[in-house]
Formats: sequence, C-alpha cells, structure tokens
Amino acid sequence: MIKIKKLSKFYGKNQVLNSIDLEFEKGKIYGIVGENGAGKTTLFRCISGLENYKGNISYDNTKLKDHLGLLLTEPFFFSKITGKEYIQLLANTRQIELSNIENKNIFDLPLNQYASTYSTGMKKKLALTAILLQQNDVFILDEPFNGVDIQSNLIITEIIKRFKELEKIVIISSHIFSTLANTCDEIHLMKNGEIIKKVKQVDFNNLEKEMKEFTVGNRINKLELK
Amino acid sequence: MIDFGLPLLIGYTLLPFVFVLLSNYLFEKTEFANYIYGLLAVSFVSKLSEPKRNDFLKSIFNKYNYKKLRILENIIYCLPFTLFLIYQKQFLFSVILNLCVTIIMLFNFSTNLNVTIPTPFSKNPFEFTVGFRKTFYVFPIAYFLTYISVTVGNFNLGVFSMLLIGITCFSYYSKTENEYFVWNYNLSSKEFLLEKMKTCLTYFSILSLPIIITLGISFFNQIDILIVFIFLCYAYLTTIIFAKYSSFPNEMNMSKVILIGLSFMFPPILLIFIPLFYSQSIKKLNTILND
Repeated sequence: MIKIKKLSKFYGKNQVLNSIDLEFEKGKIYGIVGENGAGKTTLFRCISGLENYKGNISYDNTKLKDHLGLLLTEPFFFSKITGKEYIQLLANTRQIELSNIENKNIFDLPLNQYASTYSTGMKKKLALTAILLQQNDVFILDEPFNGVDIQSNLIITEIIKRFKELEKIVIISSHIFSTLANTCDEIHLMKNGEIIKKVKQVDFNNLEKEMKEFTVGNRINKLELK
Repeated sequence: MIDFGLPLLIGYTLLPFVFVLLSNYLFEKTEFANYIYGLLAVSFVSKLSEPKRNDFLKSIFNKYNYKKLRILENIIYCLPFTLFLIYQKQFLFSVILNLCVTIIMLFNFSTNLNVTIPTPFSKNPFEFTVGFRKTFYVFPIAYFLTYISVTVGNFNLGVFSMLLIGITCFSYYSKTENEYFVWNYNLSSKEFLLEKMKTCLTYFSILSLPIIITLGISFFNQIDILIVFIFLCYAYLTTIIFAKYSSFPNEMNMSKVILIGLSFMFPPILLIFIPLFYSQSIKKLNTILND
C-alpha cells in the first residue's frame, strides 16, 4: 500500500500541493482528475521521487521508485535511438533480461525506426510498452490515452483491468472521463493542489454530472454563439 | 542570466572574439580555408531550411514576404562569415557564398538523416548507441590512419588515431540526458556510476582494440608509451562521466569545462579532479536515485 501523509509542494513561494493525504491499495485502480494546473503531474512527480516535497510517502517499507513504472505526459526520447533500443534501455535500468522484444510489440510499432520520428500517440505507446516490460508493481500513468488511436485505447483499457487481477496499484490521470469510469475503482478530484473529493465507483455518474455543472455551467453562453 | 556557467552578457561579448580567433586559426593553418569556411557557413545556414520550420513560415507569410524573409535571414546568418572573408580580401568567395545561401532558400530539406544506422551497441543504450550513429565515419578514418602509421613507421600517428577514438567516445558524455533516464535505475548512486564507467571503458576498449593490437605488434619497443596513452584515455573518460553527473540534472557548467580543458596540459591533475567530481556526482545522484 502507498501511504501519502500531509504532502505539500512549493515552487518558490507558490504552493502547488497543499497537505494531501491519500492511500493507494494493491489491486485497485485510482483516477486523478482536475483542471490543467490543478497539480496532478506535480503530485505524480512527488510520488515517484522526481521532486522534493514536504510530508511523507511510504510504500511497504521499500523504495517505491524501484517498483514504479512512470508514464510521463510527454515522454522524452533521444534523437538516434530506435523503439527497440528504448525498450531495451528501460529494461536495462531495472536489470530485466528481455528476449524477443518484437513478440511483445502489442501496439505494432515500427521498432526499428528512430523513436523520435514517431507520432505523439506512437511515442506514448512505446513508452507504455517499455514500462510494462519493466515488470513493475505500481504504475503511474499520466494521460495514457492522449493522442492514442481508438484500437490502442481499448488495449490500454484492457491492460489496466488486467493489472487489477494481478494485484498492482495503478494511478491514472485523464481528461477523458469515460476512460476513467471504465477502469477505476476510485476517482480523486483535484483543485488548486488539494484533493477536494474522493468518489467510489457507484457514484461516478453523479461525479460526471457534478463536474459538468461545475466546469461548464453557463460559461459557453458568454460566447454568444450564433 | 547564466548559461553554461557563464553570464549571458559575457558569453555574447566573448562570442565574436572566439569566432574571429577560430577563423584566423583556420586561415593560418590551411590554404584550403576558403573552401572549408564556405562549407561551414553553408551547413550553418542550411539549418534554417528545416521543412517543419518553413511550413510554419509559409502558413504565416504570403509567397513574396516568405521569400524576402528567407533570403534576409540566410544572409544575416551568414554575415559573420561574409565579413571575415571580406577582411581576408576574399571578395569573390564572399559573393559566391552569399549567392549560395540565397539559392539554398529555394529548397527545404532536413539536415537530420532518419535512416537507422546499424550499431554494435544496441543491447546497451544509450551513450554509445546514439554516439556511434552520430560519429560512425570517425572509426574507419582512425583505422585507416593506424594502417598508414604502420606502413610509414610513424608511431605518433598511430597513437593519434587511438586518441581520436578516445576523444570521440569522450564527446558521447558531453550532453546531459533527461532525469527520467537516471531516475529509472534501481541502483545506488555508486553502482550507477560504476555501471556507466564499465560500459564506457568496455566499449572504448572494443573500438580501439584493433588499433592497440596493431600498434602493440608493429611498435613493440614503444609499448610502454602506448599503455600510458591507453590509461590516459581511460582516465579522461572516467573524468567526463563524473563531471557530467556532478552537475546533474543541469548541464556541466563552463568552469568544469575549463578545468577539464586545462587538465590536457597537465594530466596528473586528474588525480584531484576524478575523486572531486566523483563525490559531487554521488551527492547529485542521491537526490534523483533516492539513495
């Protein structure tokens, strides 16, 4: 179980995360939603240890980072490295012996091409494949469905569901509510660096309605569209 | 503002002096300087011909303004070279150069080849995988120089060819990778640095082995000097790895670059730099690897 207690993050004087308390259990899928700038990515970076923070994050008395697969919103790629080598690189970092990478290419990516020439969606799929093959116990997926085609969307959704059976912890952020409703056991709503609501699966429909009313409201009327 | 460890204002002031110094050096050293200088200028200007960039400009400006803008930016980009050619009284070359960069405006091309170049280092990315693809042409040149050194009996040329490989491998560690690729390692800072060192020294040894064996056999009486140079290469490669991670995740600052540059004049100083950079690297890596 991952336990987060009183997690706060400041950039200079600007407080980005404000005393967040969260618990993530094994075999459960968690969604984090919120507007742009709500603090989702910063929260993920703090959990993964890429940022310094105030507060406490613990994971079964072991180093969380070494069991964590982190999918960044915009994965970074070297200029002259192929898809296959990218997967190999990430496997090497965890001392995982990989054989027959082509057989594990579930998204049918052109693995012998330079990864930097891939489209946004292909890059995302490659980065996801690489962290899946790292055999992690915890996954943080920041916008995994962004720019990804509908077929791959279905595959990713099924992978996430499979993780539940495998007792993994999965934390996802997405701006597409339906993908979260399909996969998550619990959704946390973030605003201005705080968790303002935790919603269980049975209340997802109400949450979507609430979010729509809260976010959309009568904003569009201001445009006076004709 | 500070970049590369230097205040920008000082950097911008120094830049023209460095340019003039290097240009002068080139014109003093070779009679073909005009041609080399022209090629340098054209390759520099050709960066502006990237298709994506030009598609963007075309979407903003109409045809006439686009052409005007492209001619102007190519000529401005090439201006330092033109001025130096005029200073060298190479009027014809400066006119030809400006004509060339004006014609280049008509073509949009990518300066990056996207053909996947095979590499023997695929299994252990990324430094040598990426580096080899960028500098693959250096190795046949180095091996050819070794062959010449043996045929003409010039040991120094042979050592130079090995140093050429050393410098090439050295350059693979000059750029800092994204912190994600360090964070991913489930090693301690010490283990991480040892792993990087092991990969680097092994691959350098593999690449320079044909030269070492050839020189060892052909110039057996000078093998002690050869061994000294091999160890110097190892020492410098170790230094650059430690220096790189001693500033991580930032780029190596200018003061470190200068220190390493000065050490080429007095290599024993590496005995101070290596442990110093090592301890700084451990500190920096501890924060990323949560050690």
